[in-house]
Amino acid sequence: MRSQSGLVTGLLFSVVTVYAISFASLNATMTSTVVSGMLWVALLFSSSASLPRIFLSEEELGTGDLLRLTARPHAIFWGKSLFNCFQCVVTGTILSVLYLGFTSKAIAVPWLFAVSLVAGCLSLAGAVTLCGAIASQAANRAVLSAAIAVPLLLPLVSLGVSAVRVSLGLHVRHEDVGSLTEGIGAAIGLVGYAGVTLATGPWIYSAVWRS
Amino acid sequence: MDLLGGVEKLKTGLRALFVLLMGVATVWSFFVPDAEAFQKPGMARIFLWHFPCPMLAVFLLLYGAWCSFRIFQRVKLSPFELGPETDHDEKTMWDLRSVASMELGYLFCILTMASGILFSEIQWGAWWSWDPRQTSFLIVLLIYAAYFALRFAYTDPGKRAAYSGAYSLFTILPSLFLFFVFPRLPYIKSLSLHPTDSILQGQIKGQYAEAVILILVLVLILTIYLFKMRIRAGLLEINLEKNIGQLENLGVNTTPTGVVRPVSVSKPD
Repeated sequence: MRSQSGLVTGLLFSVVTVYAISFASLNATMTSTVVSGMLWVALLFSSSASLPRIFLSEEELGTGDLLRLTARPHAIFWGKSLFNCFQCVVTGTILSVLYLGFTSKAIAVPWLFAVSLVAGCLSLAGAVTLCGAIASQAANRAVLSAAIAVPLLLPLVSLGVSAVRVSLGLHVRHEDVGSLTEGIGAAIGLVGYAGVTLATGPWIYSAVWRS
Repeated sequence: MDLLGGVEKLKTGLRALFVLLMGVATVWSFFVPDAEAFQKPGMARIFLWHFPCPMLAVFLLLYGAWCSFRIFQRVKLSPFELGPETDHDEKTMWDLRSVASMELGYLFCILTMASGILFSEIQWGAWWSWDPRQTSFLIVLLIYAAYFALRFAYTDPGKRAAYSGAYSLFTILPSLFLFFVFPRLPYIKSLSLHPTDSILQGQIKGQYAEAVILILVLVLILTIYLFKMRIRAGLLEINLEKNIGQLENLGVNTTPTGVVRPVSVSKPD
């Protein structure tokens, strides 16, 4: 919380992305698949650009060693990942409201949309926080943390796109987005991904810490 | 002495047998009857050499993660596992195994993509069809590349082993999803052109299946051999660095001597 740059950067990036996508698709009819894909791409790049900073800033400000002397690894990881979870959910909510507003897209299954968005944001935050911690002491850490996080997040994005696509276009004519069962399956996958990421993250972080 | 000589002769014999079997398998792969399950059966023989590549890429990624897990576990190795070069600690050995596994896995992933793209062009009419299997292996290729990008970013061997090991462990969940879940999702499966569980469902049988299994076994043996060679090369590299460090501590100049070249000097007028 010493610097609000992460939150501001994430929000700014999201708003600019939403505006750019909406501007690029002016007067075009966007299907639910395209809208959900664009939404998740914006979330992916927004989170991978801003969330790793929580660990990188410790090394840049020279407070990383002090943190290692005074705190336990589990406490540090949980503190930082919870802050990132909050930041990602706030950013995701603002981005979704803006994006759906710009594209005039209605939500057919609101609860499925909300569950997949929150679970997706928690997974993104958990994974990107750990990648930030892993890259924090490398030479080119800012670029590296995003580069190593994105391949791990692509499966998550595919699940997110499946769930949001169904939640947006389930009852829309001329759109084959799959059944509600498939959407629920993808949302369960997102919840599982979030659970596993947040459960294994502290263990991996403390193992690195001891080394 | 006779016993050592006998072992060497046996090893040479086994190597010769392996090369012979490789040759036989290569020739046989051109003569086995076509497998009718493919869109163009006569042009599907690349499958025989394509099939072992993704299997080994998957296995080596997971084995690399297991070796990384052992780095953090700090389990004492038995003297048998350490081999003759006993002055290396267990962490270094597991790191070497992990990186050897990841390097070979990366190689097999590239071979999977290359042979898969060729197969795609011949069977489906496009170099890249956005098939779920093709797409998921491209992401696996990116995961492998990210592992090496991270590894090259750390110069300190201890940090390099720990951080790249942590990343390797963290790749298990997305990798398992990409290999086993993603291609079988109902919506994704309906879009796929790629054959799934062909051997289990009996679509590939008879001589074709025998050739597939023979080539898989041979490529597996080659992989084990390359893996052991990579470990040996890694140990030699570490020994070399240690010896240079010891020589420097003893005051021996290890830097190469300067080269003296003749220079022409113009005569004064």
